[in-house]
Amino acid sequence: MLEGFSDALLYMLGSPISFVMIIFAVIWGIAFGSIPGLTGIVGVALLIPFTFVFEPIEGLLLLGGVYVGSTFGGSISAILFNTPGSPEAACTALDGYPMARKGQAGRALGLALAASAIGGLLGTTVLMFAAPPLARAALSFGPPEYFALAILGVTAISSIGSGSTTKALIAGLAGLALATVGLDPITGTERFTFGSATLLSGISFVPAIIGIFAMAEVLQRYSEGNTEGQVIKNVSTELPSLSEFMRMKFTLLRSSAIGTAVGALPGVGATTAAFISYSEAVRWSKNPRAFGTGEPEGIAAPESANNSAVGGSMIPLLALGIPGSATTAVMLGGLTIHGIIPGPLMMTENRDLVYSVFIGMFFANILMLVFGLRAARYFARILDLPYTLVGPAIVVLCMTGVFALENNVGNVAIMLVFGAVGFGLRRFGYPIAPLIIGLVMGPIAEKSLRQGLLLTDYNVIDMISRPITAVLLTFSLLSLIYGFYGQFRKPKS
Amino acid sequence: MRQTMLKRTLMALGLAAGTALAPISATAEDYPSGSMEVVHQFGPGGGTDRFIRAIGEPFKSISGASLVPISVSGGAGIPASVNFEQRPGDGSSLMAIGPEQVINHALGRIDLSKYQPVARIQYDQGLFYVAPDSEYQNIEDLIAHLKDNPGDLKLGVTGAAGFDAMLAGLWNTTTGAELTLIPFEKSSEAMAAVLGGHIDVLYEEYGPVRGALESNELVPLVVFSEERLPVLPDVPTAEELGYDVTLGRWRGVAIASEAAPEKAEKLYSIFEEAVDADSYKKIEEQSGLQYRSELIGPEAFQEFLENEVQVYTEVLKSLGQI
Repeated sequence: MLEGFSDALLYMLGSPISFVMIIFAVIWGIAFGSIPGLTGIVGVALLIPFTFVFEPIEGLLLLGGVYVGSTFGGSISAILFNTPGSPEAACTALDGYPMARKGQAGRALGLALAASAIGGLLGTTVLMFAAPPLARAALSFGPPEYFALAILGVTAISSIGSGSTTKALIAGLAGLALATVGLDPITGTERFTFGSATLLSGISFVPAIIGIFAMAEVLQRYSEGNTEGQVIKNVSTELPSLSEFMRMKFTLLRSSAIGTAVGALPGVGATTAAFISYSEAVRWSKNPRAFGTGEPEGIAAPESANNSAVGGSMIPLLALGIPGSATTAVMLGGLTIHGIIPGPLMMTENRDLVYSVFIGMFFANILMLVFGLRAARYFARILDLPYTLVGPAIVVLCMTGVFALENNVGNVAIMLVFGAVGFGLRRFGYPIAPLIIGLVMGPIAEKSLRQGLLLTDYNVIDMISRPITAVLLTFSLLSLIYGFYGQFRKPKS
Repeated sequence: MRQTMLKRTLMALGLAAGTALAPISATAEDYPSGSMEVVHQFGPGGGTDRFIRAIGEPFKSISGASLVPISVSGGAGIPASVNFEQRPGDGSSLMAIGPEQVINHALGRIDLSKYQPVARIQYDQGLFYVAPDSEYQNIEDLIAHLKDNPGDLKLGVTGAAGFDAMLAGLWNTTTGAELTLIPFEKSSEAMAAVLGGHIDVLYEEYGPVRGALESNELVPLVVFSEERLPVLPDVPTAEELGYDVTLGRWRGVAIASEAAPEKAEKLYSIFEEAVDADSYKKIEEQSGLQYRSELIGPEAFQEFLENEVQVYTEVLKSLGQI
């Protein structure tokens, strides 16, 4: 193993271009992540033709760097403008933007950046030392286990938000209901599509979150009429102090572990990882009602999770040749063109390549700290402009971004409708986190429930009595009971 | 005075319109030119996206025109079709078509007569695989077991009511060795499910599982093609077993039906040259697509499509989808 590292390091030192590649890749990734509509997947896909002129190692370093950078990049726009630049960053907006509105934009960005780097480094470390056994362990996750995982995410709905539990449940159920629109995942039948070609793909997640966060925010700001006054001032991005970090060590560790594990599952990705670790941060917090109002742990949890999921999703790719996420699936395509067949033999046959990727990803996470800080500062300058300029610019950028995503005008309509929905929800005091969790977890829960029932010939007991499934479901049930008990015990105010 | 002014303006406008129209009539001769968008229904970086880029490279050096993949994903390919059909029908836009369009046509969701076939370029072959510790290490045992216990074994496929499901449906009705279908959203999930022992059998094309086959993580049982794969000489075809199941995933391109047929012929002649380019051949081989792919032109492709429509309609009927 050590020999593998030293060989790879020697190779990289012998070819300094690989470091230049990583630097370029991280910057490219941050840019793609932070602009709505340009996701990490697009960033990687666009660079694949350019990797042909390089050796496979440089090519893979380039793609890996973009993946790392883009996963963080989305949080910049999520925190500063309530406009998640990538789906992975949607969860970060829940607490990041409220913190920024309190005048602590710099602190929020610093937290996101530091948590991302920690998550990324931990995920990469796990990838380095435990990829083959973890990849095998991930295979024990079948449809019943995915179902239990989604239920675990959904049950946190009851404890999120400062308002009433009833309203949180209504919003959560609305999210789950909206997730049923589109083609049936098992039979392919159309559901609630009303003859619309756009709705055939369901309520696309990115247009929905851009609408519910960014559009609703612009509407809200204009309806408040304080479009002249600058709210977020003097952004000086700084990394959190060591003592602040130590206070969150459990959240960071837990979220990174969740992120790595969820990332390694081929059926779910960084977005799910972010939401599950957010749910868990709420569940384990002494102060769950503070989430959604600018709670530091509400930023640290999803950011460390989504970046550790980057390392996690490389685990099955390198160990088994199965991509753990949409972005790694694109990377796999790139590898194939280079004549490398990802599979269990890659770890031994292409050892230099695999170890270079480990080192490169480590390096990319550190570089992300440097460039992330810079990028955040540049972006924050936009906040010095009056909102009468920024607001409309956000609207235009979101519209073009959402269109560009799938080249589909229908998505722009979805975004606008969800802008109105988000505005309405806030007006009537409904929390939006449960709605989004419902949208994220709903499709996973439904699909895996039905696959699981098919597998067990519709024997529910067979399905939920599998060890992992049973543990996760029991845990969800207990926390739900505890949540309602807490609600019941709470003195009426 | 004012009227002559108006007249002059109108004349000027007419003249301007005339000059604007001029390049359009010129395109008939130097077609194809500039950048031609190729609409497809898969994600950026996916197999079809890479296919368009791969064939686009020699296409450009031969014709000077570049192929630009436009990904309109989701919705079983309907949004992609809607996007393509809204474009000018002069042949300046192409659509990457495959079995999904035939299925959508059979389901009445799109009308294939709006598409003028240009060339079928790739033709893939799929196989059934089991895990190395499976009880059924050859296809005869599997069929024998299933004939006695229909639906007892679970088959993982990618996509709901897509190509994989059609092939599995055809297998079930042809052989009577009925497998229970478990659709997965992504092929990676289905592959993880068979490796993890959650499903019994996997259907997948040869290319994506090559790594797993070389390391003996998966055991191939039967290949759906006219001939055995040279790399897997011991794996029988379904035809050899007496079952006519040779459906394969294919990729081709089409232009709008109202475009001049000469344009389709012109494009076909460029593709004829492009598929022989070394850069494309290399990519074709790395994806395991060299065995069955045979370029066919507008007329042959049209015949092929008509046959496919019949086959898929039959399968969909037997599945109760139409």
